[in-house]
Amino acid sequence: MTEVVVIGAGADGLVAAHLLARAGHRVTVVEESPSPARSSGWAPWQLARELQLGDLAPAWPDPWLRAPLASGGALELWRDMARSVESIRRLRPRDAERWPRFCERMATLRALIERLYLEPPPGLVDMRFALRVRRLGRTPMEALMRILPMPVAELLDDWFESDALKGALATFAVRDLHQGPRSAGTAFRLLHYHAGSPTGVFRAPTSNLAALLRARPGINLRAAKAARIGVRDGRVANVVLEGGEELLASLVVSEAPPRRTLTELIEPGWLDPDLARAVRHIRARGVAVDLALELERPPEWTTLTIAPSLDDVERAYDDVKYGRASARPWIDVVAHGKQAQAHVQYAPGGKADRALGAKLLGAHAPPGVIRTTVMEHPHWPEGQPHHAELALDQALWMRPLPELARYRTPIGGLWLCGPAMHPAIAGVCGYNCVREILRAQ
Amino acid sequence: MKRYDVIIVGGGHNGLACAAYLARAGRKVLVLERRERVGGAAMSEEVFPGFRFSVFSYVVSLLRPEIIRELELPRHGLHILPLESTLTPLQSGDYLAQWSDHDQNRSELARHSVRDAEAYDEFGLVLHRMARAIKPLLKIAPPDPASLDPRELWHLWRLGRYFRGLAEKDLHTLWKLLTMSAADYLDEWFEGEALKGTKSASGIIGTLLGPRSPGTAYVLLHHYMGELDGVFRAWGFAKGGNGSVSAAIAAAAQAHGADIRTQAPVSKILVSGNRASGTVLDDGEELRAPIVISGADPRRTFLGLVGEQHLPDDFVAAIRRYKFRGCSAKVNLALGELPRFTCRPEPGPHLRGAISISPNVEYLERAYDDAKYGEISRRPYMDIVIPSMLDPAMAPPGKHVMSIFVQYAPYHLNGGWTDARRDQLGDTVIDTLAEYAPNLKGAILHRQVVTPADIERVVGLSEGNIFQGELTLQQMFFLRPAPAWARYRTPIHGLYQCGSGTHPGGGVMGASGRNAAMAILGARA
Repeated sequence: MTEVVVIGAGADGLVAAHLLARAGHRVTVVEESPSPARSSGWAPWQLARELQLGDLAPAWPDPWLRAPLASGGALELWRDMARSVESIRRLRPRDAERWPRFCERMATLRALIERLYLEPPPGLVDMRFALRVRRLGRTPMEALMRILPMPVAELLDDWFESDALKGALATFAVRDLHQGPRSAGTAFRLLHYHAGSPTGVFRAPTSNLAALLRARPGINLRAAKAARIGVRDGRVANVVLEGGEELLASLVVSEAPPRRTLTELIEPGWLDPDLARAVRHIRARGVAVDLALELERPPEWTTLTIAPSLDDVERAYDDVKYGRASARPWIDVVAHGKQAQAHVQYAPGGKADRALGAKLLGAHAPPGVIRTTVMEHPHWPEGQPHHAELALDQALWMRPLPELARYRTPIGGLWLCGPAMHPAIAGVCGYNCVREILRAQ
Repeated sequence: MKRYDVIIVGGGHNGLACAAYLARAGRKVLVLERRERVGGAAMSEEVFPGFRFSVFSYVVSLLRPEIIRELELPRHGLHILPLESTLTPLQSGDYLAQWSDHDQNRSELARHSVRDAEAYDEFGLVLHRMARAIKPLLKIAPPDPASLDPRELWHLWRLGRYFRGLAEKDLHTLWKLLTMSAADYLDEWFEGEALKGTKSASGIIGTLLGPRSPGTAYVLLHHYMGELDGVFRAWGFAKGGNGSVSAAIAAAAQAHGADIRTQAPVSKILVSGNRASGTVLDDGEELRAPIVISGADPRRTFLGLVGEQHLPDDFVAAIRRYKFRGCSAKVNLALGELPRFTCRPEPGPHLRGAISISPNVEYLERAYDDAKYGEISRRPYMDIVIPSMLDPAMAPPGKHVMSIFVQYAPYHLNGGWTDARRDQLGDTVIDTLAEYAPNLKGAILHRQVVTPADIERVVGLSEGNIFQGELTLQQMFFLRPAPAWARYRTPIHGLYQCGSGTHPGGGVMGASGRNAAMAILGARA
């Protein structure tokens, strides 16, 4: 039995903690900040089975996308393909005809992505991975090679004509990314959020994964902040909390961003200077502001996406390139009863005060808003929820750096399990990390 | 009538290189060129009396050394004059100069940032190593990764083995270069704005992308490829203009027995029973050969000369999707006197090199933003050379020619290209440049403005794209120009491609022409 300390009690930290506890380790989780009630992202059944989470419930709003139209009415995309087709038909009959084929094509690639996500990333020249891609067959394989590096704008232009459809879909490809829809590699992001979702749904689900695990016994949950990871002879020895308490540990799994774990919690000198430099260069620029809205009464919609066209999303991005908040940001609102959460993009550093929050929401505030609060995410580096921007040069074997891609660090017994790791989906990073730890033991 | 083994459509540098290699191997080759001279976009012309210009492409940076060697181009008149420096004038009145002399370069960089001067050598080493790593890929026909043909599998296996043989660190750097933006990649190395601006400019050439667009870091690498072979530098200038490159290759082809016919516009490639059988000229003349090779870009070749009725639907769809989006223009000036740059007013060695209007990354990105929405950049990026400084025969005594490469001038301009818009582009370029060299306006004797629409009309490059199609990741290697058809072959037997729209594409490189010839000789052997 090993003394394990997990730093961070988000979905990844909790998944890692419980999996290690099940493997017979004594686990203490240092909960650095209160975890949100619902975690967002795919919760694969393999994970649920291993942790015996019978009541794990991923959820999507339905319609999962609702984009109001300038001409009145709204474009609505549903889990039910026929209803989506019906809604698109009112905009462009040709797009409606193409929607099912587009969804099928993306679903073929989703299957590959899902398998890829449930294990540590393949190497860059990995023959097994290459063979698996080949087994997809010619058309999907060619589609994959073409789509991965593509700008999402080009992908959508290939298939569709309607500005409303293309604009709204593109927001999912640039969410939390310091890029616009015309930037190469954004089509990959559409697939990323498609993982674990039904065919025809490109919004990542939310689930009760973190809440279930938090409530479950078997681990020692401590509300505290880690101040330092002690290293002796190149191996972790303990975790020192703020206030000075020392937790002995021979295994430390950190959900914190790599930069914090490796350059702040570890004493300088343990890390090779080249690696330290690379860690400091991990790109993590926040670009979005989350606003909590309190509404007078439950709205008649559950989701609202305001992004009238690809050009509108691109122009919103242009502003942030020069360090300004978008004059006309794109907005995605999800409502639960009288509470709603608005994702507003772009704002540099993912920062906003109340005034900017209100200004960004501007005319798009849904009717009946009583109060707007800017949500704070102090543990996100530079305001970036993925801890490392999820762009192609920081994905798969490159995530967050090739030297760290397999969850281990050069410090013996110190592992990374946060969203900066492959595949950047809450819970799955922790799952992959523990499987690597157990394999190494 | 003479019988030919091979007809090549288009006498651009790639078509000519392909012809030279096939003729050298004993094939009877005929090259058909629409215009009155060969060279395509690599040509020189006396545009104004006494003033010669490389009207379109203007530098020799990437021409493959093996082509120079194997075709003995120096013997056929090619003489390359090195460009020794790059000057970046700044709005502040200062400048950044990069010199080929290592110590001189280092002290100039250190004048702006000691840190950058330190990092520069390592940066150069890394890019040299990467360039060396991918250099072998320029010489091969890309294998088809989905094929079950044993020969293709063999090529794939060899390619896989090659990559596995590279150091892991290099593979990761290569991946970064392929997927990152030039600006992000340079941010990891340097802090100087002028240095980053000028370096990132080489990442945007020919493609409708800005320095912050992912994928542009890869094009930086191209700049380091020419330098490898030591004999000449990445940037050189052909004596007599870029037409001399084409003329030398044409002379080599003719010396090996190839026939070249100019003013012979091909209107149609003949196809019967899924087999190419020859070409028809505009005047109706039919020329037959069992092999036809097109140097024209994929759109013109397949949707124009062949006709989609002869091609499978998937393939036609792929060619339709293939992106051109030309965005580069040229302004050629005949000057009565040398420009006097505020930052370095006296004539000097800096005028013998390139002059780059790229003061910082943001400047370039803003230029791109204008083009992204269909406008001419209000303040464009420019790459300028004064060929008469190196080769006085280009202009009358005491006078000069200046070649200005301009970006961005989008082919898909709002409202379309007209004479007024062409003049507007010319004025924008002159006004912007005059901010750095105030005597310029008074020195201009003549000016020629070449828009992407002009490039398309005159040279025949679709949408005026100087690379016969954008060099983006989804249009590279085994996807160029279409998946499954990247090996210079086409769905039509006996019809091949040899233009820049095939791997590796881009620049006056000649690799596509040479590779196509090798593929054909291999296939027939």
